[in-house]
This record gives sequence, structure tokens and C-alpha cells, in this order.
Amino acid sequence: MVTLDVRPQLLDALSALRDRVAAARFPLPLAGAPRARANRDELIAQLDDYLVPRLRQPEAPLLAVIGGSTGAGKSTLVNSLVGRRVSEAGVLRPTTRTPVLVCHPEDHHWFSGMRVLPDLTRVWMPRQDVDDDPLLSAEDDLRVLRIETVDTLPRGLALLDAPDIDSLVADNRVLAAELMCAADIWVMVTTAARYADAVPWHLLRTAKEHDATLVTVLDRVPHQVVAEVSRQFGALLAKAGLGDVPRFTVPELPESAWGGGLLPATAVAPLRAWLAQQAQDPGARQQVMARTAYGVLDSLKSRMPELAGAAAAQYAAALRLTAAVDGAYDSEYTRLRGRLQAGAVLAGDALKRWRSYPLDCSAGELLDALAESLAALLLCAVTAADERVDEAWRREPAAGAPGLTDRDPTLESAEHRIGMAVRRWRRVLEEHAEDEVRALEKSVAPDPEVVAALVATALLGGRRARSAGEGLAERIGAHGALRLRDKGGRLLTDYLDKALHDERERRLAPLDALDVHPEPQAELIAALSVLQKER
Amino acid sequence: MTAVTAVTDHTDHSDQPGDDEGREGEGREGEGRQERGHARVEDDSVTDRRNAYKNAHKEDPDGEAVRKEKGDSGRVRTETGGGAESGSGSGAGAGAGAGGGSVEAAVGEDEAVGSGMDAVDATDSAGAWDDGLIARRVSVTAEGQARAVQEVVVDNRSPAVTPLAYDGPLRSRLDALRELVGLSRTRLDNRTLAEAGRVLDEAAARRRLSGQHTVVAIAGATGSGKSQLFNALAGVAISETGVRRPTTAAPIACSWSDGAAGLIDRLGVPGRLRRRPLQSAEAEAQLRGLVLVDLPDHDSAALQHREHVDRMLALVDAVIWVVDPEKYADAVLHERYLRPMAGHAEVTFVVLNQIDRLPGEAADQVLDDLRRLLDDDGIALGEYGEPGATVLALSALTGEGIGELREALGHFVAERGAAARRISADVDAAAVRLWPVYANRRQAGLSEEARDEFADRLADAVGATAAGEAAERAWRRNAGRACGTPWLRLWRWYQDRREPPTGRLSVRAHDEEATARQRVEQAVRTVAERAADGLPSPWAQAVREAAVRGSQGLCEALDELAVRAGAPVGRPPRPGWWPAAVLAQAAMTVLQVVGGLWLAGQVIGFMSPNLGVPVLLMVIGIVGGPGVEWACKLAASGPARRYGLDAERRLREAAAGCGRARVLDPVAAELLRYREVRGQFLRATGVDAPVG
Repeated sequence: MVTLDVRPQLLDALSALRDRVAAARFPLPLAGAPRARANRDELIAQLDDYLVPRLRQPEAPLLAVIGGSTGAGKSTLVNSLVGRRVSEAGVLRPTTRTPVLVCHPEDHHWFSGMRVLPDLTRVWMPRQDVDDDPLLSAEDDLRVLRIETVDTLPRGLALLDAPDIDSLVADNRVLAAELMCAADIWVMVTTAARYADAVPWHLLRTAKEHDATLVTVLDRVPHQVVAEVSRQFGALLAKAGLGDVPRFTVPELPESAWGGGLLPATAVAPLRAWLAQQAQDPGARQQVMARTAYGVLDSLKSRMPELAGAAAAQYAAALRLTAAVDGAYDSEYTRLRGRLQAGAVLAGDALKRWRSYPLDCSAGELLDALAESLAALLLCAVTAADERVDEAWRREPAAGAPGLTDRDPTLESAEHRIGMAVRRWRRVLEEHAEDEVRALEKSVAPDPEVVAALVATALLGGRRARSAGEGLAERIGAHGALRLRDKGGRLLTDYLDKALHDERERRLAPLDALDVHPEPQAELIAALSVLQKER
Repeated sequence: MTAVTAVTDHTDHSDQPGDDEGREGEGREGEGRQERGHARVEDDSVTDRRNAYKNAHKEDPDGEAVRKEKGDSGRVRTETGGGAESGSGSGAGAGAGAGGGSVEAAVGEDEAVGSGMDAVDATDSAGAWDDGLIARRVSVTAEGQARAVQEVVVDNRSPAVTPLAYDGPLRSRLDALRELVGLSRTRLDNRTLAEAGRVLDEAAARRRLSGQHTVVAIAGATGSGKSQLFNALAGVAISETGVRRPTTAAPIACSWSDGAAGLIDRLGVPGRLRRRPLQSAEAEAQLRGLVLVDLPDHDSAALQHREHVDRMLALVDAVIWVVDPEKYADAVLHERYLRPMAGHAEVTFVVLNQIDRLPGEAADQVLDDLRRLLDDDGIALGEYGEPGATVLALSALTGEGIGELREALGHFVAERGAAARRISADVDAAAVRLWPVYANRRQAGLSEEARDEFADRLADAVGATAAGEAAERAWRRNAGRACGTPWLRLWRWYQDRREPPTGRLSVRAHDEEATARQRVEQAVRTVAERAADGLPSPWAQAVREAAVRGSQGLCEALDELAVRAGAPVGRPPRPGWWPAAVLAQAAMTVLQVVGGLWLAGQVIGFMSPNLGVPVLLMVIGIVGGPGVEWACKLAASGPARRYGLDAERRLREAAAGCGRARVLDPVAAELLRYREVRGQFLRATGVDAPVG
């Protein structure tokens, strides 16, 4: 027999694992991301609501959650099991919006605290209130859990009437899934009209995956067809590999079915007896508990790698996005260098100025034209890179993350930033030229502005500005010219690198802000392996 | 003739699907076989006509060959038609029905003329369909479509059946949608257009089928009592009911009057699953023209059932959703079916079955709740005479409420508007789905501002401003040199001799790549971005591509142009006062020289001493020389400015013209195309908004 013996190390490992899971984020809108987010929430809920409290306090009462499709008669079943109207039943769907937990009065303390289902607010509602104002809790926006105590229920057993698992109300669906995960015993209720529905079978498959203690109730079976429907349902169960699941059949009784009344005790007696036996027989109880708990622990083996895989996919997508940006900017940078070498700056306006210099054009004008042309070249490189990035990102689903592509109209500001960088470069170059001229021991010192213009032309003009270099050497000497050109060249490289780097960083900033790292994957797997060792 | 070979080919091809279904429908007597025979014949003749049409256009547009071809295909049709006749004759059983008989009669009556006319009609329609990929899709990919086309003519020839006619607005919307799809093919991917294409195909297929009939499907969850309701309406236990879930696995069709074979064929319901209702004159009269289809469930674990349902729901004219008190709030029903089909409310019935299981007023409560849920789904409810879905409560078991449903159905069927309304709703849905790829956020178009900015950027790229300024200054320099004092010129000449002329003289070197590439690139990118701003992304992409395509070779063209337009045309023009100024300057020099000589003459005693006059002459010459130069400079600034501006303008205009022809015009054409498509889209949505 499997028993539940829990060492503190296991609990530590489990809470470490929980933290890791809670820390995992899936911000990029990849195909698997919503699924991964749901899985993470479900896993956290199951750890918080069920596994950790159960392992900490194995002596707590068993919780049987009654789940099923809308209209399957879950509330009627709960009412009939306890022999009193604790949960509202009715003809309007979905009926149960607030989950109701029913337990023995002496077990009340187990559930009134935040031991299980900590994110549900407890409401304690005397019976008459419920009768007088049945809509009170339904209208409440808070996620609440109503606790009822009934002394007809055996000690050590609690029933939870969950909302429908495939509710039209999305919150109900989420809540129902969460509640099912908190159960020691999953009671799956279906009906004669529903037993072939796809939805409950999804639930059954999940139960099988988690190896939870499962029991099915075939409700609302017209008595003429009890045998046939029951047989067919059994066959379907067997086909799904769930042949050994205890199966109970409750006939449809006209006086109870739609009025919200109670079924006669005889109709639910077998189920009641089975539940009571699970709760009171220590052996059976141990087995039930251990099976579900270990089922969850075992299911971690496949669920954690799934989460880790999703985290890895996130990181890979982020990496791809970053690589697209880097690739675009790198190739644009190479192109920019090539153009600079070829003297692309000395074209158009700047070239015309240079051709008419110095006869019809002053050094200042030439310098202005060169700076403007350089800024245009830089801006062109940056926008081309951005365009490439956009193109590459268009094929990436992950690029749809909010804030990643909806850039502010940065073109103007990029122009502004680049213009600023170029102006700064020009000023520094002029300062260098002044220094060089001042150091010159010549009676008639050349105009520093002319020197600066000639240096800039020589640096940016490529081959067609060879005469600028000659003119420069003539004015400040070959050594000085070489020195100044070297300085200016280094300066130019620095400023270009910085400008492009800034733009790239600016482009990557929103992606960096999403904080997608490779660590969560490794951490999730590590937490899982620690847990495996502690078992 | 080609037509004949085509016939043999296609007989072989069409045999295969025919055989498959023939085997399936073995159980049915003559009727099925006869229809198969006709189907095959029609397939052939349709292909003939298509071939004939193509040939006609290819070979001889004059008409002679066309007529011959048509005649041929007509004859072929009659021949094979005869074969089918004999086939049906041999296989005609009790179930052969009136349809078969009338077909034979039609063929017998006017072989040559009638079928010839048919052929012409069909050729026309085939022509209308051969406008693009849609038609090809019809014939190539969609097997079902081909079959639907076959049925058309079967029905056409049967006098009992008149094809469905869409009213004007709907027809124009369908035309607009077809045009839209055709225009968008090259810009949008097939996936985006698939839904619209499907709607068009369905609309065309439905149009050729009986307009007297309304196909109504009964859909619902497993165990809601679809089959029970079906049987109750038919008055006879046709569809199997039971407690085993899911019960009905394949759709069953039941037709209240003749001539609906084509419609049922389109649904793909095999012959063995076609039924007739209980014969009763009263029921017949009330529901005349109704074709009822019992669908499998949509929510059971059996996946193929859902596929069946999804396929059929796209084909039928109207749907009766059967819900029961237990399942009426199922998420799968509302989220998967009712919400997406909210636009189809007018052709939707929602019936709450099994009210016999509800006590007392609970039935009303549940019905109200159901109404509330439907309202939440966005389905308009047909209450108080407004158009919308009909919601009823009934019990198929006890028969309660069946009468009402029968009555509602009777009215609905008698109106004969369901098919058109359904297609209209389909077009609505397709339009809504296409909305993001056609709707723009704001006025599309290239503003004057953007064009000007583009021209400015190009002018910058070729350096128009700098060229203009240089020309102006050069002109002024020349003027100064021409009108300057000779002494100054002498000094300059001497200076030039002393210093090497580095950069002193403007060398007109021929530069390669004189145009700033980066500026051109940026200009094109900016103007494309401006033009694409606010456009839906596929069209924005198309605009960008057009701009980039146009800009290829633009730089080289600008290079060439700069050389051509930048070169001065001959000598710079000289103003009329120029000779006078030169003369005045010369006079000043002469005065100086004369004064000097006079003085010198006095000094050497050659002339009588008279200081006053020569000094005065010299002073006038010395002061007047620079004075004239200064005055010339003043006078020259105007013409110089004009000359410079002229040079700038020449270059600027040449560059702008080049950019307009290569980039702006293609972009504008692309925008125009988008506007046209948008207009079609608006027509298809049925909104009569001005195109903008």
C-alpha cells in the first residue's frame, strides 16, 4: 500500500519549485504562450490549493469536488448527498456560480482558514439568508467560497460543489478547473444526454493524466434506459482506459430533477457509502490521498518540462528578435563603412561645394555641407536598418508583443539625435584643427576653419578628395596633416559607432524591458530534479 | 474537333467520383442512377463549352468558329443526353419521379435549339467566371463545385424548377466582392481571400439551384432531440432516435416537394439517406418547398460529426438550432456556433426542445434565459415583427409547440428569401473579416506636401542649391573681373603666376556618382512611408515595393541628368549695359593715362605748365575706376542672382521630373488601385460611402 510520508525536505523543495514556477513569465505572444500561462496558473493553483496543504497536513479531511458540465445536476447531487438544500439548484444555467463547500461542523476549522484555496474569500452564510436572497452571492464580484456545515456528513469528508467546467462565463470555467485541481477525489458528473460530450471526456483524460482518484456519476438517467446507457457509458470508459473507475448511476426522478429538490436517499446511497468509506476507513483514506498526491507529484515530471520548454521557446524567440536587430544594424554598419570609404558623403550638395571651393565657396559652407551630408548618410543607415528589422519581425509571431513594434514616430527624433552627434563631431574636429594650427610655428598661420574643412573633406571624400589632403599638407605640413587626419578618422569612427549603437539600443530597449532570460528554463528543471531527489 | 476529344477525356475523369457515389447509392433504385448519368453528361458539356469559349477567343474572334463550336457542343450534348435517356429508361423504377420524365421531355422537344441556347447561356456565364483565379478554382480545386455546376443544368432543363434569383443590391454586392477578390489576388495571400472566395462560390452554386426550395438544417447538441424534431416535422419516423449517444452519425435529408435533388446533391447527402415526408395534402401545402436536413451533433467526442456539421452549416439556407433545458447554456454551442453566426440571425431558428421535462413556469424561465444568452451572443431576436432569429419552445415528444414551429417554417419557406438572406449574411461576414485588409485609418493619397518634400530631397541629392550658388558667384566674379580696373586685374594675373593654381580655377571634372545615394534612398523611403501611412498593411507593403522598384536606376539617371542640366548653356548671358561699363572703365583708365602723360609732359617741359587740368583728369580716372567697378558690382548682383537661380531651378526641375516619372507615378498608380479596391469593398459591404 502506498502511504503518505512526508519529509520536510520535500516540502522545501516543493515550495522552491512553486516559487520558480510563479517566477516564470511568458510575455512574448508565441503560439504556446497562452497555454503555458494557463498551465503555470493551474500548476500554482494546484500546488497552493492542494499539494502543499495536503502534504503538510495529511490528517485534514478529504475533499471531494463535484464537477461536470452545466445542467448535469451537480448541485442536486450534493444536496441529496447531505440530505439538505445547501447548494442552490435550478433550471437556469449556469446555476452554481459560487462554489459551495460542505463539511461536518467539527471539520469546519480546516476550511475556514486559508489552508486550502487561499485566493477565495470565505463567506459564511446562515441558511435563511441564502433562502431569502439567493442572488446575493451570485452578484458578488469577488471570488468567494461559501462554507456550509452539515452534521449528516461523516467527519473527515468535505464536498465541494463546483461551477460547470465548460461554462459560458469564462471566470466560472477557470474557477472550476482550479477547484478540480484542489480535490482529493474527483467526482465527475455527467448525464444520459451528455455522456458522449467532448467536454467531460477532456476532464476525464486530465484526471487520468494526473492519476487522481476519480469517480464518475451518471446522473439523470431515465429509468427505462438505465441498463443500456450505463452499459454504453461503461464501454466508453473502458475504451478510454478508465474501466476501473467506480461508476454510479442516479436515475432521473421527476420530483427532484428540475425543482431543485432532493433525490431520495436511496438514489444516492451507493455513492454516499463509497465516499464515507473512503473517508473513514484509514486504509482506503490513505490510499486515496496518496494516489492523488503522488499523481500530482508525478504529473510534475511532464508538466515542469513543458513549462521549461515554453520558457526556452520564449528565450529563443527573444534571441531571434535580438538577432534580427543585430543583424540588420551590423549589415547596415558594414554598408555605411563601405560608403564612407567610397566617399559617398562628398556627393550632391557637398560635392558641388567642394568643386567650387575656395573660389566660390567658403570653408564654413563646405564644412556645413559635409556635416549635413554625413548626417543624411547616418540617418539613411539607421532607417534602412529599422526597415530591415521591421521586415524580419513581421515574420516573427513574437514581435506582436505590445510596445515592441509600435514605436513612437522616432524618425524626427532619430534625425535630431544623429544631427546632434554629427555637430558634436564637427566641433571637436574644429578644436583639433585649432590646436594643430596653434602649434604651427609659421608667420602666417592658416585659417583653422580652412584646415578643419580640408580635414573633413579628406576624411569623408574618399578618392575624389585627394587634392584636399594635398592642400592640407601644404598648409600645416605633412606631419601635422597626417596627425590631424588620424585624429579626425578615429573621432569619426567613434562617433559613428556610438550613434549607431545608441539607435540599436533604443530599438532593443522594449525587448529588454520584457525581461526574457534563459535562466527560468534551467531553474525550473533544477527545481524539478531537486524535488525528484527528495521523494 | 477539340470538343469531341474533350468529351471523351472528361467522361473518363468524371467516371471516378460518379462511381464512388454510385456504389454508395446502390440501394436506391433508378432515380440515383439516372441522375448520375445526367451529371456525367453535364460535366462533359460544361467542359465543352469552356473549351469552345477558349478556342473561340484564341482562334477566331469573328464568330464563325464560335458558332460552329457551339453547334458542335450542342450536338455532342444531345448525343450523350440520348445515352443517358436510355440509361434512365432501363433503370427507371418507381422512384424515378417527375424530374426524370421532364428532363427527357425537354431533351426530346427541341434538341438543337434548346440545348444550343443553353450552351450560349452557359458560355456567357463561364466567360463571366473566367475572369481570374476564381473560375479556375471552381474547375480545378473544388470537386464539389464542379458537381454543383453539373446540377445546374439538370435543374435548368426541368421546367418545374426555376433557379434562385438574387435581388439587385445583393447581386451588385456579389459582383463587387468578385471584382474585389480579382483585384486583390496579387496583393493579398490566398488565405485571406479564401473565405470571400468560398462565399462567392457558394453564392454562385446556390444561385443555379432551385429558388423554390429552402434548405433548413436541424443542428444541436447530442441528445437534444434533433432527430425527434425531424421526425415530428416529417410526420414519420425517418431518422433513428435513441438513447445511445451520439445517435445520428450522417446527415439525413427530407424534401417536401420535387426538384430539390440538386440542392441535396450539393449537400453531399447520398441517395440512401434521402426521404420523403408522410404524404398529407395539408402538410404538403404548408411546408411546400422545404428541404429539411437532420445533422449529427456538434459537441460529442466523435470528431467527424463536428466536421460534418461545420461543412453542412456553410451550405444550407437556414438553421434550426435545437437546444434542451440541460444544454442550452453550453459554451461550445454559443462560442463556437452562435456567436460567429450572429449575423445570420434572420435565417436562424432556436428551439428549446424537451419542455415536457420542465415543470410549470420553469419552461418560460428557461426560454427567457435562453433569449438573454442569445442576446449576449449578439443575435438579433425576431420579436415584435423585427427581423431576427425565431425562438420557440416545444416538445418533440409530446408534440407541444410543433404546430407553431411548422407555421413559422411555413411562412419562412413561402417567402423564399432565406437563401438570398443567408448569402447576404455570408457576404457581410466575409466583409467583416476582410475589413482590416481594406479599411484605412485615414485618407489615402500622396499629399502635395509630400511630393514637394520629395522633390526637395532629390534636389538636395543632386546638389541643386550649391550648384546655383556656385553659378551665381562665378557669374559675379566674372562680371567683377570684366569691369574691374585693369591694375587690379594685372595684380591678380601676377598673383596667379606666382602661386600654383590649386583649386583656384573651378575645374569642371566629370564626377562619377555625383548624386548622393543616401539622400535618394532616404527620399524614396520617406515618400513611400508617407504614401503608405494609414493604409492596411498589404497595401502599404505594395506601395513601398512600387516605390523601391521605381527607385532602381534613379541614382544613375540623376547622375546623368546632373551632368546634362548642370552644364552651362554656352557662355553666360551678358546684360546690355555691360559694354557701356567696360567702355566707362576703359575711359577711366584712358583718363588716368592721359592725365599722367600730360603731367609727365609738363615735368619734362614738353608742355606748358598747367597743373590743374591733368591732376583733375587723373583724380577723376583714379576715383572713377573703382567707382565704376563698384557700380558694376551693384548692377551685376541682380543678373547674377537670376543666373544662379536659373541654374538651380534647371537642376531641381530635372531631378523632380525624373523622380516623378520613376517613383511618384508608380506610387500614385498603386494608391489608385487601392482606392479602386476600397470602393469595391465598400460596395461589397453594402455601404454606399464615397470612395476616399
